[in-house]
Amino acid sequence: MAAVVDLPELQGDGTAGDAPATPKDYRVWQTDSGGDNPFAKITDTVIRIVETPKPPRAWYIAIAISLSWVGLLVLSLSRLFWEGIGIWGNMNPVGWGWDIVNFVFWVGIGHAGTLISAILFLLRQNWRTAINRAAEAMTIFAVICALIFPATHIGRPWLPYWMLPIPNQMDMWPQFRSPLDWDVFAVSTYFTVSLTFWFMGLIPDLASIRDRADTNGRRIVYGILAMGWRGSARQWHRYERAYLILAALSTPLVLSVHSVVSFDFATSQLPGWHATIFPPYFVAGAIFSGFAMVVTLLIPARQFFGLKNIIEIRHLEQMNKIILATGTMVGYAYAMEFFIAWYGASHYEQFTFINRAFGPYAWAYWTMVSCNVIFPQLFWFRKVRTNLGAMMVICVLVNVGMWFERFVIIATSLARDFLPAAWGYFVPTIWDFSTFLGTFGVFFTLFLLFCRFLPMVATAEVKAIHPAAHGH
Amino acid sequence: MTDSSESVAVSKEPEQVHGLLAEYETPQKLIAAARRIKEAGYSRWDSFSPFPVHGIDPAMGIRPTILPWIVFAAGLSGGTGALFFQWWTSTQDYPWIVSGKPFWSIPANIPITFELTVLAAALTCFAGMLILNKLPLPSHPLDRIRRFARVTNDRFFVLIQASDPKFDARQTSELLAATGPRGAVETVMEDTQSSNVVPRGVTFGLLILVSAAAVPFSLAALARVSTNTKPKFHIVPDMDFQQKYKPQRKNAFFEDQRAMRLDVAGTVAVGELKDDDHFYRGKLNGTFAKTFPPQIEISEQTMARGQDRFGIYCTPCHGVDGAGQGMVHQRARSLMQGTWVQPSDLHMEALRYKSVGELFEGISKGVRNMPGYARQIDPADRWAIVLYLRALQRSQAASLADLPEAERKGLE
Amino acid sequence: MSHPEEARLDDAITLDADSGGLFRSLLIVGVGSLSGAVLLGMNDLAKLQRAYLVAFMYVLSIALGALWFVTIQHLTNAKWSVVVRRVAEIMASNMWLVALLSLGVVGPMLLGSTDLYVWLDHARVEQDHVLHHKSAYLNIQFFIVRWVLYFGFWIWLGRRFFRLSVQQDRDGGSEISTTLRRISAPSMIVFALTLTFCAIDLVMSLDALWFSTMFGVYYFAGCVLAGYSTLGLFLMWIQSKGRLTTSVNSEHYHDIGKMMFAFTVFWAYIAFSQFMLIWYADVPEETHWYHWRFEGSWKVVSALLLVAHFAVPFFGLMSRHVKRNKRSLAFWAVWILVIHYVDLFWLVYPNGSGEVPLSAVDILCWLGVLGLFGAVSVRRAQKINLIPTGDPRLADSLAFENA
Repeated sequence: MAAVVDLPELQGDGTAGDAPATPKDYRVWQTDSGGDNPFAKITDTVIRIVETPKPPRAWYIAIAISLSWVGLLVLSLSRLFWEGIGIWGNMNPVGWGWDIVNFVFWVGIGHAGTLISAILFLLRQNWRTAINRAAEAMTIFAVICALIFPATHIGRPWLPYWMLPIPNQMDMWPQFRSPLDWDVFAVSTYFTVSLTFWFMGLIPDLASIRDRADTNGRRIVYGILAMGWRGSARQWHRYERAYLILAALSTPLVLSVHSVVSFDFATSQLPGWHATIFPPYFVAGAIFSGFAMVVTLLIPARQFFGLKNIIEIRHLEQMNKIILATGTMVGYAYAMEFFIAWYGASHYEQFTFINRAFGPYAWAYWTMVSCNVIFPQLFWFRKVRTNLGAMMVICVLVNVGMWFERFVIIATSLARDFLPAAWGYFVPTIWDFSTFLGTFGVFFTLFLLFCRFLPMVATAEVKAIHPAAHGH
Repeated sequence: MTDSSESVAVSKEPEQVHGLLAEYETPQKLIAAARRIKEAGYSRWDSFSPFPVHGIDPAMGIRPTILPWIVFAAGLSGGTGALFFQWWTSTQDYPWIVSGKPFWSIPANIPITFELTVLAAALTCFAGMLILNKLPLPSHPLDRIRRFARVTNDRFFVLIQASDPKFDARQTSELLAATGPRGAVETVMEDTQSSNVVPRGVTFGLLILVSAAAVPFSLAALARVSTNTKPKFHIVPDMDFQQKYKPQRKNAFFEDQRAMRLDVAGTVAVGELKDDDHFYRGKLNGTFAKTFPPQIEISEQTMARGQDRFGIYCTPCHGVDGAGQGMVHQRARSLMQGTWVQPSDLHMEALRYKSVGELFEGISKGVRNMPGYARQIDPADRWAIVLYLRALQRSQAASLADLPEAERKGLE
Repeated sequence: MSHPEEARLDDAITLDADSGGLFRSLLIVGVGSLSGAVLLGMNDLAKLQRAYLVAFMYVLSIALGALWFVTIQHLTNAKWSVVVRRVAEIMASNMWLVALLSLGVVGPMLLGSTDLYVWLDHARVEQDHVLHHKSAYLNIQFFIVRWVLYFGFWIWLGRRFFRLSVQQDRDGGSEISTTLRRISAPSMIVFALTLTFCAIDLVMSLDALWFSTMFGVYYFAGCVLAGYSTLGLFLMWIQSKGRLTTSVNSEHYHDIGKMMFAFTVFWAYIAFSQFMLIWYADVPEETHWYHWRFEGSWKVVSALLLVAHFAVPFFGLMSRHVKRNKRSLAFWAVWILVIHYVDLFWLVYPNGSGEVPLSAVDILCWLGVLGLFGAVSVRRAQKINLIPTGDPRLADSLAFENA
């Protein structure tokens, strides 16, 4: 591999221009391109972040905090494996507690990335190119956090492979007719496809880093990851087709994943769980919370990494409009649930909804309603949509509200089901908190590592939609 | 026109020319150049850009890729495979009933079918794109051109390969120069230093990895067919080993080493002293009692209780009317079991003349094929059943004189 | 250098009196078919009412689909659709006719007919506990109030979009576009609610004991499919008259085709979700509705829906070449419009007897409402520009290209 390391016999003479003699000067040479060329500026703004020897100080502080939370997660999961599920607050009748709430919460957040990458691509919304890389990364990290819960909440967490259709000595197969098994397939497919899509999008940008690399180490690592991409038009042609196909596949996939998650509840007979509108309702809610998380992450990211000219206020405003729209869809679903609960004349169903609003979990219910339905209405006003502080607050509240929505659905319906003798009240334990906080640690750590080592913006896509790129 | 082939010093053999390279500053220039090259009839050439340039495909004459068809086929296989697998495992290999749904529950199989369709299609799409693009491509002659490093940044290039039938060092170079490139047209030499041979270490390493990867699957296959007397490996013991004595275990404290103990001779546990013979065993002075014990109140309530308990415990065999034609008997008869004996007809004389104490004992300890019900029915209820039984027997063996006056008058 | 397929604004963008022939024929078909249906169906009024209900929900779905299209294009500030939007505005502005046609359903209700809706039968409502409970919503007075609200809103919105757009032709400027965008956002919310409750009132309450939170979304999916298919066919007819031949090109048809494809999938997703959840939980109050649709000959119709409403158009509309070619797209548009009728028929008719009573009365009602709606749409199309010439995004719409 000597040829790769030493770059001997490089051709290029003075007439070819300004190409430097040694790799060490590559980056300087690539950056200094003259004022008119917008493409180099885009490359530089984004790739510089990966190349700087030291990230901003805020990054160090943030990752120190998030790593400590990861430590908390390791501690919590170790305790869980050793002692069992009893350390959580799960009890009769609320057998599904924070574990499932958190799972649905994280899977939901992941949906925004795919929507931005795939659906907005199919709808030809070019503004997505500023945010899709970060959003897709967020999707993958959110799904990783989500997968922690089904893997560890199963009582004997050393046996999760039983959920996979592998031939075994018991001659048994997974229960394919169960929504919980559908979840296994749906979420793992979603993870795999999102990872594939994200990685494929990264290839041209990794090649940019490779070509600007001034150290061998960076060149080799990013070179291997970039798979030798050189931007040939014939390769771009297949790449673009593949991108379109993956976008077209990801669109129904993302709709199906949260629909399958909603089937966990809707296939039951429990009042408050069994409603046919659950699939699109959950999907709308997922997009709602996902976009809110993207906004929450991008506001500090663009600030600390100097990406304000690429991730502009107008991009954030568009996302806020989508948050308003999907929040309204969630509101529609709430209205339908209420109406049909009354219309269906089942007193169990009616009681469930009255109980949600006025029963022992009323505090959770009203938090949910105010965060999901009331506060996002502020996004009707342009001033609010374009104000960074306001949108940060509202988006955090949206995520709080969506967490509570899942909690309300799960806990209230289980705590007050058909048999009054079985009623109970779920109280979380310290381990519920610590595990959940720990997953935030995983999420933020991965996101911070992503910001540090990978290009946060899809530079090739941003360049492609730039006015200077238009061929005719 | 540049002539850089002489500047290569190290290799001894004359290097081959790979092609000619031209650089452009804007996508528009690239497209214009591409059109001209296509019109000139070149086929083995390519353009390079940091992003997909809109309009380059028709300008270069790039034909649509077959990738969508490959993906379609993969998706179809994934879907049918998933559906088939669920059908086979649920209806052929190990059918079992879940929630009363049919073995092949098609609606329940749709989600997984859909997911695997998408998974197969997506992975094939990515792999197909890489393979069709011949990626990963570790080395290329263009890597040795320094300025080509800007292809992933902001510059655009065209490379016409020397292997093109129309390639001519002078003419092709002039054509490229006429398209307005940035700087001069450059000759790209073949890459003779990167080897095509995979290093032995890599091949060896891959072989080891593949063999190692087969190990877990072989172990799983072995586990499917072999038996093992050793208990399973426990990472977390949980409650498998508890600090208590279980039946059939050893306890070294006792002389006979058994953990299971009999009652100490001559003792009775608190609440277990059943010394009321009449109530508990239906016997008075050693013979079967002909009267009900004083604890049992002969009343409508007791009768109703007796009827209720009779209905639960006795009617399956003896029938609701007590004639011995209960459902168990019907079933046994339909199965044509040779060893079946019909349950007693409770109205037969022998039973009508039995004392209540004997009946009580019959219920408690069982008679011939009938099991004893002492464990299931407590003594008070057993006496209530006996009371009801007496009334039942009376109902089929009554005379006119037994009827109350009002009824008798109605029948006469 | 211009792209070979690039659209340019036509010189002739109005139909003038050119299509007088079609207007007359459609009017005759419309009036004639409806009269024929009444004559044929006079003996079996229950059947006639049901046939008319299916046909009415059909034409309502086309109008609502068109109205939704216009609303969403304004809401998302879409550029591709400007050249095709006027045609949709024309269809949406004819909501007044649909309101008139609704009298064919509401009239009998007011006259006391209980053939369709058991909740109008006071005796039954008194006896049945569940119906009695629902009578707070399912009663004729509240129904009329809602009916007025639905059609009032739809007529108002359709007219508003149409008039402002036509006004923009004359005055130009982007203020009108801004106004239209501002209206479209809250209108979308009201639209969703009115569509949902209209579907509940007229179709879901046919089986007053059944309920599904998904029902409004299900009907909506059908509306969008019907709307896009009709839009495509209407545009093709206009082009056959030599208008808009260069303004509307394969790029626009490609987009219409994409939406037809997407909503075929969406319809299947909604239909499957509703069905599978009810099947899985097996709650008797909900499952009887589907049992009726699997009994007897209805099994065939249900299988037909699965195959012809989802599987076949899914594979058929997948290819981009199919979507870009007018003939193939027209084929699929007609296919979807036919199978959409089957879908509504399947929603309205089953009552547990297992029979599929398709007859001439059904076809005549269907042709009748379609003929009338087509007639007024053609008439309106004759009198105005077929393209919103004043829309600031017109140039983008002409120039747009699919990937």
